[in-house]
Amino acid sequence: MKTVIINECEKIPTSGEYILDLAKADVKSCIGCWSCWWKTPGRCTYQDLDQFYHHYITADRALFFSKITKEFVSGNLKTLFDRMIPLYLPYTEYSTRESMHVPRYEHYPDIEFYYQGSFETPAGRKTFIDYINRVFYQFHSKNIVVKPIGERII
Amino acid sequence: MNTIILNGSPKGKTKQSNSQIFAEHFIKEMQNPCEIKSIAGNDPKELARYVAGFDALIIILPLYIHAMPGIVMKFIEELEPASSEGKNIGFILQAGFMETAQHKYVQPYFRHLAEQLNYTYLGTVSKGEAAGIYMYPKMFKKVLKLVSELGAAYESTQAFDDTIVKKLSKPYELSQFQLRLLKVVDIVGLSNIGWHKVLKQNNAFEQRLDKPFL
Repeated sequence: MKTVIINECEKIPTSGEYILDLAKADVKSCIGCWSCWWKTPGRCTYQDLDQFYHHYITADRALFFSKITKEFVSGNLKTLFDRMIPLYLPYTEYSTRESMHVPRYEHYPDIEFYYQGSFETPAGRKTFIDYINRVFYQFHSKNIVVKPIGERII
Repeated sequence: MNTIILNGSPKGKTKQSNSQIFAEHFIKEMQNPCEIKSIAGNDPKELARYVAGFDALIIILPLYIHAMPGIVMKFIEELEPASSEGKNIGFILQAGFMETAQHKYVQPYFRHLAEQLNYTYLGTVSKGEAAGIYMYPKMFKKVLKLVSELGAAYESTQAFDDTIVKKLSKPYELSQFQLRLLKVVDIVGLSNIGWHKVLKQNNAFEQRLDKPFL
């Protein structure tokens, strides 16, 4: 089973075929140019994530270790989500009675998403968990788990 | 109320930025138009310090992956909680997908954020099917007029007008009729005409389904 890791937390014991260390790497911001859709299909105008794209799309499982800021994903991780749009087609389909992007690839990894940080209210936690589930549902991952980092079984 | 408008589009102050077009229309019918600043191209820390001098902050932004673009979150990270009452924050979201139910994952977050910052939450205005505004502005005259009315009403009441907000947010979900229509449009091959036209102009049509990272 191929595992990729996307980590922005400290002291996480991890092993995987590929690790994207967001604590060290700033992901370049999506500039909304749509080059990845209508100029160079599937390829971003920037190349800083090319290795990540390859490993993510060929993995069985992607593990995210997210450091919560202001009760949401960090700006850096949100930027990574924005930059994952080349992995999907610009076309929209409606079979689930709502707008969904059409997948570009046949397979997307299962997601284990662990978050570090606290919420002031249960409603704040629910909003965060619902958001992460929705992101990876839109990203066509079949199995999605979202948990606090303390509940990770090593 | 001293209000600043922030354009949250990564495209910044350009003709291709729908959020910039929304912002310009929001202040168009104001007697004393608010200042508009772009988040793109500004240092988020410095911008956070600058906006702290205003009573109200309205962020006009595109929906990226069901929430704010990364640059907007980087700016939000730098916002400090207000030390006293009287600060306000509101959002105007515009997106490509037709139905505004797509915005429901981030709207409650914006409310939580206002609470964390000790700001009064002015609400979130949602508009779907807005991606083509900069390409076909004439087709969106009515929408932009509503945005101007929203701005004028905000200047007099310091609130988002409920009636205008409801008009802009339709449809919330796709109706049976719309779904049937979209299916027909898809079968006769009309749904992707716009994409295919630009792909051909860019000599990229044959590569449109490429899987470059396998």
